[in-house]
Amino acid sequence: MSKCKSLISTFVFILVLLTLTSSAFAASYPAPRGFVNDFANVMDQRSRAEIQLIAEQLQKEQGIELAVVTVTSTEPLDPKEYITGLFNTWGVGGPEDSGLVILLSIAEGAIEVEPGYGLEGALPDGLIGAVIDQEGIPHFKNKDFSKGLTNMARAYAHILAGEQFEIKKEKTGGNGWLTSFVIFMLIVILLRRNRKYPPGGTGGTGSTGGSGGTRRPIIITGPTRMPGPPRGGGFGGGGSRPSGGGFGGGRSGGGGAGRRF
Amino acid sequence: MKKSTQVLLVIAVIVVLLVVSVIGKYNTLMEMETAVDARWAQVENQLQRRADLIPNLVNTVKGYAAHEEKVFTDIADARARLLGAKSPEAQMEANAGLDSALGRLLALSEAYPELKADTSFVRLQDELAGTENRIATERMRFNESVQTWNATIKKFPTNILANMMGKQSKTFFEAAPIAREVPQVQF
Repeated sequence: MSKCKSLISTFVFILVLLTLTSSAFAASYPAPRGFVNDFANVMDQRSRAEIQLIAEQLQKEQGIELAVVTVTSTEPLDPKEYITGLFNTWGVGGPEDSGLVILLSIAEGAIEVEPGYGLEGALPDGLIGAVIDQEGIPHFKNKDFSKGLTNMARAYAHILAGEQFEIKKEKTGGNGWLTSFVIFMLIVILLRRNRKYPPGGTGGTGSTGGSGGTRRPIIITGPTRMPGPPRGGGFGGGGSRPSGGGFGGGRSGGGGAGRRF
Repeated sequence: MKKSTQVLLVIAVIVVLLVVSVIGKYNTLMEMETAVDARWAQVENQLQRRADLIPNLVNTVKGYAAHEEKVFTDIADARARLLGAKSPEAQMEANAGLDSALGRLLALSEAYPELKADTSFVRLQDELAGTENRIATERMRFNESVQTWNATIKKFPTNILANMMGKQSKTFFEAAPIAREVPQVQF
């Protein structure tokens, strides 16, 4: 009889423990608002809209879900634990676990990026870190969180679209600019020369695309969309769940890279 | 129908129900055990991945600090121990050994600013840190599955079946408070 009692009390204890821990975990993450979740309120309207467009395009073309999250603090977790927990609680990414979360925490001065299981091949940690170093950190140091996050989102979108991300070798100063300028001029000259022997019809002005520059502005050729408040953006009707809030149930394994700035 | 046949029928139905439920429980137990093993395989994958990254890292560091022989041999030994470890306990112990050897290797970068600024070194550090975080995550998930397993085989009436099958509770690994050090970059 007493054995049975102790057994029952153990069950109850384990049950209580399980429910306690699970609820504690669930409670520490806010509900998603969409692709852009500016909980810390550090981004401007334009960057929110731009990241929203990038994310929509990623989802439409490749089924990849991108979530950009800013929080004031990740307490009591450290930023890495927080992003892994948030990723898997929200379920960012579809059935192929193709999700990507970018987390910025103000109090810790932390930027963390984590890929879902399905994107680990396309986005190795080293590359994730390089994008943070080149596109994010310089702006974060100047407290320009909007720019840093937008540039990072854009860079990841480009990598995922199959483009090369150029990793800069140290600080080469003006030298790098000089080479890219020379290459640019060469291309212009070559293009001019080519135009002298047209196989048929003049080609018009022609876009001098590959300038070799490392930071040329990239135009997102998104679907024609009215520049209105984006779906599921950070603002709008209070209380109601925005349509962009739900993610596809993707999982991640805790990879990725992070920095303190 | 005679009364005894009725009783027999009832008993037969009860026996069939029992057998069905025992089979069901048996299958659940087997599935759960496989799931726990699969979880550990995930941890092993990441340990392997960590070991795979080390030669590259060592070579990069050697390019700048070739004379730090002691650190390199320590790393090679620790890596060999990790790859040779068979049981989960031995693997976790070898992994901890690798932690300290790697810590000394990474500390070297403080003395060699050029190494610290090397982009491929920074990338490798990211890969390594990412893998360490993956190990921590997969180990946590393994622990959770072990806890569920342990709770299940202690519950009545599954415990009777588990005893008969010779199933025992499994040990899990406390997540050591590993230093999740992220590379600091100076601009």
